Amino acid sequence: MSPSRLGISTAFLFFVFVIQESVISRIHLPITGFSLYLAVLVCLISLEDGNGAVVMGFIGGLVLDLAPTSQSPFGQWALIFTIIGYLVSTNLESIGDFTAEPMTSVLFISVGSALALSIYLAAGAVLGENIGTFFRALVVIFGNFIWTLLFTPFFLPLIRRARESTLTFRERK
Amino acid sequence: MAGSGNNRSRLLLVILLVSSLFLITLDLRGVGLTAGSRNITQTVLSPIQKAASDIFSPVGRFMSDVKNFGKAKAEITDLKLANAKLKKQAAFSSDTQGQLNQLKGVLDLAGRGGYKVVSARVIGRGSASTFSQTLTLDTGSNSGITKNMTVISENGLVGVVKNVTANSCIVLLMSDPTFRIGVRVARSQSIGVLMGEGSGSYTLELLDPSGSLKVGDSLISIGSDNNRPYIPGVPVGVVTNVDHTTTSLTQRAKVNSYSNLNDLGVVSVVLAAPATAPSKAINPTPRPTVTVYVTPTPTATLTPTLSTLPSPSPSKVKK
Repeated sequence: MSPSRLGISTAFLFFVFVIQESVISRIHLPITGFSLYLAVLVCLISLEDGNGAVVMGFIGGLVLDLAPTSQSPFGQWALIFTIIGYLVSTNLESIGDFTAEPMTSVLFISVGSALALSIYLAAGAVLGENIGTFFRALVVIFGNFIWTLLFTPFFLPLIRRARESTLTFRERK
Repeated sequence: MAGSGNNRSRLLLVILLVSSLFLITLDLRGVGLTAGSRNITQTVLSPIQKAASDIFSPVGRFMSDVKNFGKAKAEITDLKLANAKLKKQAAFSSDTQGQLNQLKGVLDLAGRGGYKVVSARVIGRGSASTFSQTLTLDTGSNSGITKNMTVISENGLVGVVKNVTANSCIVLLMSDPTFRIGVRVARSQSIGVLMGEGSGSYTLELLDPSGSLKVGDSLISIGSDNNRPYIPGVPVGVVTNVDHTTTSLTQRAKVNSYSNLNDLGVVSVVLAAPATAPSKAINPTPRPTVTVYVTPTPTATLTPTLSTLPSPSPSKVKK
């Protein structure tokens, strides 16, 4: 992962974060809200390999930790997405190149977002945070899964094209 | 080569994990750096949120209306019924008018001071990825808002100010699972604690197991020391279901809030409660007691032998 692409990806993630906090979170969707940021971050992690996925996870998590409405300790999302990045990078070969198949990609991103929220809840429970009833947590995770499944096909091709344009000649090979 | 590559990957992973844990530790120990970074983000985001609020609020309202369509229809039916009932009651109200005037006088006395408030527009909400139930308002410390101030809507309690920047503040909604407030049952004056559950309903736990609780009871806030974070007397919610389980040590009930937290556009932050709060102790004025002064009148001359003895009553003197 080249330093320039790392910078561009960080700026892009911050842009998505601002959209998430300013626009998406204002829309009252049935069941629960949709996190565009989580979906985009999981998507970017899945497109990286090796160290790139881990670094992208860490930076993406740090940006999410900046959320002023968040009550969790600063660094919790960074920890979670570093772990997710590592899991993706180590298991990418065994999963296979699913990025070529759109529906599998969408499903992977939806499951990844739900998994990130689940790990966040588990980490919160370990750190003694009060996140409400178990049923409510399940509804939030399920709702986010459904919305990610529905909305990801609209922005996934754009992200893939944008990423390809930032690849260096060596990375394209 | 592959071995050194793996080692480098592991080293990178360890460095990033340790960095994350280090940041978490700093935050849990209350180091200002982490809280400061969130404040800076809020300062950067609030103008964007304000602009986005102006542009996208019709979209948000439309989705909210779609979501609450069935509820709104039911509410209209309920209101029609209530209106008919009120029309009937109005005919019999002349007798109670006199009593009402007296009651108004008492309420006027209690609430004469009024709250000093500043109104603010809702420009943002907690996102789905944070699990927190919050609002972002377009007014901050420049308007006198500080942390731990009560936030109210036209119908009652909304929440408490959690974080403040110069031109915005974040309000922890009463529906947040971490939210707790002391409340009083208006009818029976029993006190308890109301807890948010992350959804539209709330749980009330009475402190006194023998306290009286009924469906339809109104709850008002008790208030905190120096009115921070909660001021007294704010309508909080209404009891919808009482749990009569005998095994429980305390009485529990389900409560609905008076404020519809999904449709908040403008709210008020209470800057100061009345200086002469009716909850303050009153020193009763002592009732004047009657004091009787007796001036002794000169009596007949007594013999020296009698003066040392107690004077017997004349009837008991034997001759």
